[in-house]
Formats: sequence, structure tokens, C-alpha cells
Amino acid sequence: MADSPLSGIRILDFTWAWAGPFCNLQLAYLGAEVIKVESTLRPCVTRALPSFADGIVGPNRAGYFNQYNQGKKSILMNLANPDAIAIACELVKHCDVVTDNFAAGVMDKLGLGYDKLRKFKPDLIMISMSGYGQTGPFKGFVGYGPPASAASGMFFGTGYRDGDPAEIGISYADPNAGVFGAFAILTALARRALTGEGQYIDQSQFETALALMPEGLLMYEMAGREPVRDGNHDFVMSPNETYRAAGDDKWVSIAVGTEDEWRALCTAMDQPGLAQDPRFSNAALRKRNEIALDEIITGWTSKQDRWDVTRKLQGVGVAAFPSMTAKDIAEDPHLAERDYIVQLEHPEIGKRKHAGVPWKMSGTPCAVSKPAPIRGADTEEVLKTLLGYSRDRVEQLQKAGVLA
Amino acid sequence: MDNQRPSPFAAIKVVECGEGISAAYGAKMLADIGADVIKIEPPAGDLTRRRGPFPKDQPDPEKSGIFIYLNTNKRGVVADLKRPEGREVLGKLLERADILIHNVAPSQRAEHGLDSAQLCAKYPRLIATSISMFGDTGPYANYKGYELTASNAGGWANLSPGASPYPDLPPLKCFGSQCDFQGGAHAAFTSLAAWLHRLKSGKGQAIDVSEQEVITAMLEMNLTHYTYAGRVASRLGQRLLGPWFIADCADGKIFCLAVEEEQWKRLVELMGNPEWAQDDLFKDRLSRGANMDALKALMSDWISGWKTQELYQAAQKARVPFAPINTMKDLYENPHLRERGFFTQIEQPGVGKLTVPGMPSRYGVTQWSLRRAAPRLGEHTAEVRGELAKSA
Repeated sequence: MADSPLSGIRILDFTWAWAGPFCNLQLAYLGAEVIKVESTLRPCVTRALPSFADGIVGPNRAGYFNQYNQGKKSILMNLANPDAIAIACELVKHCDVVTDNFAAGVMDKLGLGYDKLRKFKPDLIMISMSGYGQTGPFKGFVGYGPPASAASGMFFGTGYRDGDPAEIGISYADPNAGVFGAFAILTALARRALTGEGQYIDQSQFETALALMPEGLLMYEMAGREPVRDGNHDFVMSPNETYRAAGDDKWVSIAVGTEDEWRALCTAMDQPGLAQDPRFSNAALRKRNEIALDEIITGWTSKQDRWDVTRKLQGVGVAAFPSMTAKDIAEDPHLAERDYIVQLEHPEIGKRKHAGVPWKMSGTPCAVSKPAPIRGADTEEVLKTLLGYSRDRVEQLQKAGVLA
Repeated sequence: MDNQRPSPFAAIKVVECGEGISAAYGAKMLADIGADVIKIEPPAGDLTRRRGPFPKDQPDPEKSGIFIYLNTNKRGVVADLKRPEGREVLGKLLERADILIHNVAPSQRAEHGLDSAQLCAKYPRLIATSISMFGDTGPYANYKGYELTASNAGGWANLSPGASPYPDLPPLKCFGSQCDFQGGAHAAFTSLAAWLHRLKSGKGQAIDVSEQEVITAMLEMNLTHYTYAGRVASRLGQRLLGPWFIADCADGKIFCLAVEEEQWKRLVELMGNPEWAQDDLFKDRLSRGANMDALKALMSDWISGWKTQELYQAAQKARVPFAPINTMKDLYENPHLRERGFFTQIEQPGVGKLTVPGMPSRYGVTQWSLRRAAPRLGEHTAEVRGELAKSA
């Protein structure tokens, strides 16, 4: 794209699974050219996970891969082959950023460590997004998103009232690491723009999750307590809960942060007297009598459609919203009007709905430039353009198993 | 922390306003790498001053833990943006600012002097980044929202906790303020991208970050389960692959995951090759998912004999990605974090030393530091007004 925030920035992307690809996805949305290095010998796990378009299993048909690799190029390289490593080093000369999310030390073992690569590109920016970081006693530990969320204390703090620690529904530590990775790369690009220096960034998925646990950590640090699991309830605000609505497993969240909102809620429920009820007349009292309050609100919501509750309450300035399913999101008129849901023509599976860019920029619009790549689709084009390889040479390297 | 050399980012001037977590976190990310951040608070103080946690649970607006975490490295100015005098201060700050990050809702922007189009017209070099619940446009643009709203509107809560046996209990939000943090983090990196673009073009612009969309982007394979296969996932139901569950050790809880066949083989070996592991019920990861209750019962006998940290280490040594359900105490005492020096200390006047999460991404060159305590309410109002008067 001609005038994107990161036009002209090229990234050689060795990441796979979710955290790394999610990082590079943000940079692709911002207009960077992301060259994803893949191999048929060591396929990305998300190309093999359901759901598949039309129920047909195939590397280019997986929704998971196609969601998180939009706008990228794909080249095939067998990194177990020394000739492929030599080509990768040549490519680095033409790239600004190298990304990986292998376990600690793997890039060094492959012959793609930062100290070597910077010889090919002195102002190179490189980020390794491993599970536990490149140093420390747990550096070799296997990092997956769900266990990283468990280790970060998020499971300990999450759960229903008086219940056990709970999982959190998504592999949150993965996309979170990707977001921090994107910030770190932008920081390094900004620094390079000012000083000319590149740098290496050692990012630990465990630590990026901990950065977002201050409320629990500081409770222990300052008040000597562990967080208490209490469902959707807030430390301070009340009511703050997701209530049953009419229909099968339909729910609507209601959160009240001010006394004005509280009075508006009571009026909307046709119970204006509730606002003066001595059990509920300020936030601290509502918090203390929260279970009784939740029962009263459930009595009102459970007979109504969740969207009716939402419109009624939002109409009087109260934060209410349905608990959205994937179907609700895919068909939501608001997200459609904002062009958030994108449907681009994919060469193998046609048009499918995906989540798009979660921000808008007025001067340099960001968009999904193209669907996720067919595996290896750009091998020849990239080697031709960046290294001047002929078609014959590319074919030879493919036959020799170097570009495979 | 190395705070001897001046950071090249000290020349980046950031203004932050609005209340709560999202904008404050986005501005914190920029402050921590060296940007000069001025936080504008309303006269009553930011609402996070009232959220705590507080030392010994005694509320005090100058001692709120979350306020301190979000606002170290910033200078604090009080200005009431609902009044002309306050908007005048904002205007002067924006004249010399590079980046504005705020989370004032679209319906309240005009009265706060924060209409994006007007800001772009008046300050053509400014990067004006707003974080809101549903974005600046569309039918829900004026809807209100808090953390719980974002978690539900983005589709995350509906999937949580996952494989729940409690259909009568509601979709569950994750601990803390994750959606607000994500809104802030997206504001921070998109603002930096726009700043990089401004180096070449000289032009600022407005950025509209929607928390709903930020969360919807994180639903893993769940959105495409629907758009590819018509399958609607929810917090109920069953895990597809196994083993995948939380179990009890002798002294705590551990999260057990071994969904790759190689991991399962190594786990079976670690368990001492029990006979039951050869049963057809557990022959592959899908079978182990389908028969998870039986699998968990059998594995639990073995797990309960272990101490959490010892099983964690033993499993990881076998390259099986178990992880403890760490408590806050566990985290502060974690030997790995200690050796990496992850936690860092700040000295907050009136509170004393606090140990807080440090650098989230370990930079080789970029200086990351906590070099200044969080501001008392209005601490820098006079100082900043003085600077504005001088530069006028």
C-alpha cells in the first residue's frame, strides 16, 4: 500500500502458531510487508486445526490460519537445510525486522541468531517471543497460551463466587504477547528512526501477561491479600453482572459506575423506589447487598429479549450489552457498518468472513490488503524481487528440498 | 534501571486525558520508554484513585495501587475540560504535543474539546488517538460501556471459562481489566506507527480504537468456527483435545495440557507407563478429549501425590506444557522472574517502596525505566502552566 504508516518496512517472519502471527498481523495491518517463512516439512499448527472451509481438510482451508495471517506473503524454506539458512541470511539484508516465537535458543541453533544476522544487516531489529524468555532457570520451558495464562495468576483470580480457579475461555496470553510484540517492534523502529540503531528484543510471554495483572499483584503487595474470585462482580462498581435474558442461554451484561446510572437503571426497570432502598442507596451498600440486587435485576431481565434490555438501558445512559456469540458478531450491523468484518476473495476457498483491523486511522487508512496466503505462494516472487533469483534457480532449490 | 542517558523519546510529548484504565495504560507504555507524558485529571481526581488496592485496605486517593501502577513517569495537571479555562489549558498543551491519547466517550467529546475532526483541523501535526467501547461511528457509537461491557460485546465472556459444567452460571469475565488494557496497548502502538509516518509526511491524524473490535480480534478460532462451519462455540461444552484441565496437587492446583501426541507419550512415561494409558479410550488426542472425565480421574491419582512446583518442573523437563495456577505470592517469589529481574521497585511518596511488574519486553537498546513516582492530584499544575506561559 502506498501510504500506510509502515509502508516500506519489510519483516522476515519466522513465527508460527498464534502469538507470533498475531504480532505480525498488526504490522501487516499497518502496511508493513510481512514475509512469512513456512515449511511443508514443519507445517504451522494452525493450518491443521479446525474449522475448515466446506469441511474439507487442507492447509489453505483452516479458519484459524486464515484469520491470523491476513495480508502476509508466504515463502517455503526448509530451515534444517544449510542452503536455506544461507538464503535466509541473504534475505535479512533486505529486511528491517526479524520475528520469531520459537523456544529460547532455537534461532541460534538454526544459525539465525541475532549476533549472526546483524552482520548481514547492522541496524536489524529482531524480536524473539518465547514462552519464558531467553534467560533464567525456566528459559527452556514450553510456553503455550493457556498455561501461560495459568502461570500469570489470571486463572487464580478468575472464577465464579466461592468457586475454584477457572480457565478464561481463550488462549489470552498468546494474542497479548503479540500485542506487546507489535509495540516493542514499533518502539524499536521509532528508536532506529531517531538514532540509527537496531536492537534485539527478548520477550517472555509469561512476563507480558504479568504486566496486565497489577490489580492482583498490588492487592498482595499493598494489602497482603490474594484476589477473591467473585464471578463478574467488580471490586467497587455495583451492579456489575451478566444477567439471564429470555431465550436459550441468552445473557445481557449490566454495569453501573455512577449514582446517576443507578437511578436511571431503577427507573428503566419501573422500580424507582429501589434507588432509595436502604440496601442499595450507594455503591458500597449495593456492593454489600449485591446478591439480593442481582436477583431483583434478573427478575427484570429474564423475561425480556437481551437486545430490548440493551436498547432500553443504553437509551437512558446505562452500560448494558448482550453477551455476544461468534454468530452475533459475524452478523452484527454495527461491526458491518464500521467495515470491521472483512470478506476477501481467497483463491482456494472464496469469500469468508474474518475479523479485520480493530482501529481506524484518518490519514493513513489501514485495511486487510489481501487474504491469508496459500502456503508457499510467494516463494518465487520474493526470491526474484529481493535476491534476483531466476525461475530456474528457484525450481532447482525447490527440487533439492531447500525451498520446501 | 539505567536512567543516566537521556532517552531519545524524551522529545515526544504526550497528553493524556479521560479517566480509568485504557488511556492511562496506553500513555504509560509510551512514558515507560521515555516519552514526556502529561496527564490531565478532573478536579475530583481520576476514578482509578478510588479503586485501590490500598495499603492495609485503607482508601486514600493518593495511595491507590492501580493509579500508581498506571501513572508513574507522568506529570499530573488538574483541568476541568467541561469548563472553558480547562479547555484552554488542554489547547495550549495540544499545540506543543505530538500524541494525544484519551478515552472520553464519543458522546462527550464536543463538550470536552476533543472532537477528532476539529482536533485534526486545529493541530495538523497532532496524532489524536481515542479509545472507546464501540468506536467513533456506527449504531452503537454512543453506547456506554465498562470493562464487563467490552468483555461481552467483544465475544470473549461468552467463551469463558470454557468447558464449563454450569449452564446456570453466566458467561465469565477474566480477572482484572484486560479489555481496557488491550484498548490502551492498541492505542500505544498505533500512535507510534502514526508518529513514524509523521516523520516522513509531517502530518498528524486521528486514530479511533474500538475495544469491542480489539477483543473480537482475539477470539482465536471461535469466530471462524462460525464463519467457516456454522459452529457456535460457547463457555459450555467440552474440550476437543485432551488432556486439558485443572487438577489438584498436594499443595495447590496445576493446569494440565498435553495435546500433541509426542507430549502425551512423554507424559505417559513420566507417569510411569500406567496400564490404563494404553486403553483405547485414550488412544489419540481426540479420544482423550472425548473421555476427559475418565482421563482426569485416572491422572488425578498421580497428580495429587506431587507438589505443584515439583510437578511443573518435572513435566516441563519432559517438554510437557503444564503450568501452576500461581497465586500472587507465588509470582512474587518465582525464582525465574527473580533471576530475570522482572519485578521492579518504585518509591511512592506516602506509600513507600512498591514492587511492581517491570519491563514487559526486554529491549537490548531502548531504555525502559520507572523513573518518577505517580503524581499527586494536581502536583504539576503550576509547573506545567509555567512552562506553557514561557513558551507562549
